Amino acid sequence: MKNRRLAIILIAALPLLLLALTIGATLLLFQGGLAPYRLPGEAATPIDTDSELLARGRYVAAIGNCAGCHTARGGTPLAGGRPFVTPWGTIYSSNLTPDPEAGLGNWPLPRFQHAMRHGVAPDGVLYPAFPYANFALLDDADIRALFAWLRSVPPSDHIPPPNRLEAPAGWRWTQVVWRMLHYRPQNPDFGADMPAEWRRGRYLVDGLGHCGMCHGRRGAMGSLPASGYLAGGRIPDSGWYAPPLDGQQLARYEVDELAGYLRTGMSAHGSAYGPMGEVIYQSLQYLTMEDARAMATFLKSVPPRTRPRPPREAVAQPPAAADAAGLYEKHCSGCHGIDGEGGKDAAWPPLTHAVAITAPDPVNTVRMILYGGMAPTTPGNPQPYSMPPFVEALDADEVAAIANYVRGRFGGQPPLITAETVRTLHGITAH
Amino acid sequence: MPSSLILSRLLGLALCCTPLHALAGTAPTDAAERLAACSACHGEHGEGVSGAEYYPHLAGKPAGYLLEQLQNFRDGRRVNAQMTWLVGSMDDAYMADIAAYYASMPPRTRPADTGAETLTDTMRDTALRLVEQGDPARNVPPCTACHGKALTGLEPAIPALVGLPADYIIAQLGNWRSGVRHAKAPDCMADVASDLSPGDIRAIAVWLSRQVAADGHRPAPAGSFLPPRACGAMPHGEAAP
Repeated sequence: MKNRRLAIILIAALPLLLLALTIGATLLLFQGGLAPYRLPGEAATPIDTDSELLARGRYVAAIGNCAGCHTARGGTPLAGGRPFVTPWGTIYSSNLTPDPEAGLGNWPLPRFQHAMRHGVAPDGVLYPAFPYANFALLDDADIRALFAWLRSVPPSDHIPPPNRLEAPAGWRWTQVVWRMLHYRPQNPDFGADMPAEWRRGRYLVDGLGHCGMCHGRRGAMGSLPASGYLAGGRIPDSGWYAPPLDGQQLARYEVDELAGYLRTGMSAHGSAYGPMGEVIYQSLQYLTMEDARAMATFLKSVPPRTRPRPPREAVAQPPAAADAAGLYEKHCSGCHGIDGEGGKDAAWPPLTHAVAITAPDPVNTVRMILYGGMAPTTPGNPQPYSMPPFVEALDADEVAAIANYVRGRFGGQPPLITAETVRTLHGITAH
Repeated sequence: MPSSLILSRLLGLALCCTPLHALAGTAPTDAAERLAACSACHGEHGEGVSGAEYYPHLAGKPAGYLLEQLQNFRDGRRVNAQMTWLVGSMDDAYMADIAAYYASMPPRTRPADTGAETLTDTMRDTALRLVEQGDPARNVPPCTACHGKALTGLEPAIPALVGLPADYIIAQLGNWRSGVRHAKAPDCMADVASDLSPGDIRAIAVWLSRQVAADGHRPAPAGSFLPPRACGAMPHGEAAP
């Protein structure tokens, strides 16, 4: 009797089981099948050291900004340890120097190539803070050159702190589930019939430069769904908003202007600050003119995604006590101009069309007013101008009034910012 | 970049022979405008801002010292989130230019803060003893041995102590004691600060904040005296006459 009941239950459950298996298999297929988990052989490969290859590897490392993430503040370059604070805990970047114990000294090239393209190494599945979705587009020659160059830097025995992640994110195998749900490899052949300059631009933007890590709109569990491709959003762990990158957002830039901005951090429309300033300082200033133009050409060809609508119900009334126009005239107009036109050939940035002013997310406006800014130093802008911090000169009501005023007058944005918004944005995290 | 600036930088690089202070900067032409972010707390010419008395003045401090502090903020040896925010993407060359600008400004001559706590007789005695004689029993050198008889510093890298707010001095010595502030090794001030008691630090800071540097007092010329210890920013080779 008992056996018979069990058999009935099993037969009844069989469709469910099959359904679950089918869904699982499909999701596994969507994230790239089993190939990512098939590690390559560990045969040692000779590492080339010719100077042309090393120079190429050095360029790949610079534009991929390896050192930006894999160097702690003031630490040995590429020795890892920079913290990345996520909602699930803190991840520390790894040591990429050739030290055999602490770094990649014992890694054969195929292992490196596999980790770059699939985010899977013998230690387990890497967290998607490492942009393997982008690096999957890199060609063999660039990976080989990068690997050779990484092997040529001075070794450091620095062992980064262990990750501090909550369960279940702390269990590496859960990354397989995350990938099944949220990771969809990019199509390497996308735009194969486009001109060479466009394809080079796509390679740099979607591949090596991994622009989408900041400029993509994030979905559930830190994912980067195709629907949010370069659509802009709040950058994880930085307190900054990154604008969309597409033909509409970048319409005011000529290709050469945008290329110049990527290399110098300044343009007729304003300067880079915050995380973009950091990326230009550490990485993009080294772009060749051809590559900068290629990136600009590609970016201006990206079709705009739908923009999120500003929340209607949250519209706050600017505090009546603060005379916003008077505050603007007193504190801002000296550099940004009475009509927001800027000055000094845009070294004092115009506010009309500025990202901070027109963005749906007001965070950049508030943080610039609170803590000021300094454009990155580059050969094209060796002595940048700066914006003073107002955190001590103005109270939260006044900052909110100015922020609403400039965003309304020059960007047509609703007055969303309250003194409470300003207070929640107080504080600087400097990793 | 004007060609004269490029030339002077190339010359600076060519002439340098020691790794320290190899960067001789050139003050930017419109420095006060470029450095509006600095002026908010340090004053347009680095003279300090009335009402923002915690922040140190920069005017007239040795360029080598100022350059090193900028590097320390960028590279995490000194911790001040606002400073790191502003100089995080700044290269050494611009830092040297900024340092050259503030170093060339007339040193501040007014007392740093009149609102500091009362200087009792005991505090004054403690401060005077430590400033002028140190405490050999605790291995504490006198302040004057490195910062100069007039406490106006020594080129190229030892700053003036006069003209600094008491709160600032207390915070810096406290940061050295707790390992938050660092200088290049050997970090002399970390040793000195850890050998002082909190009471000593308070006495010295309040006394110092009341001293006025006589008009026009600049750091003593490089090599005009020999500090007793070699420090990271000032190895003996640089200080020796």
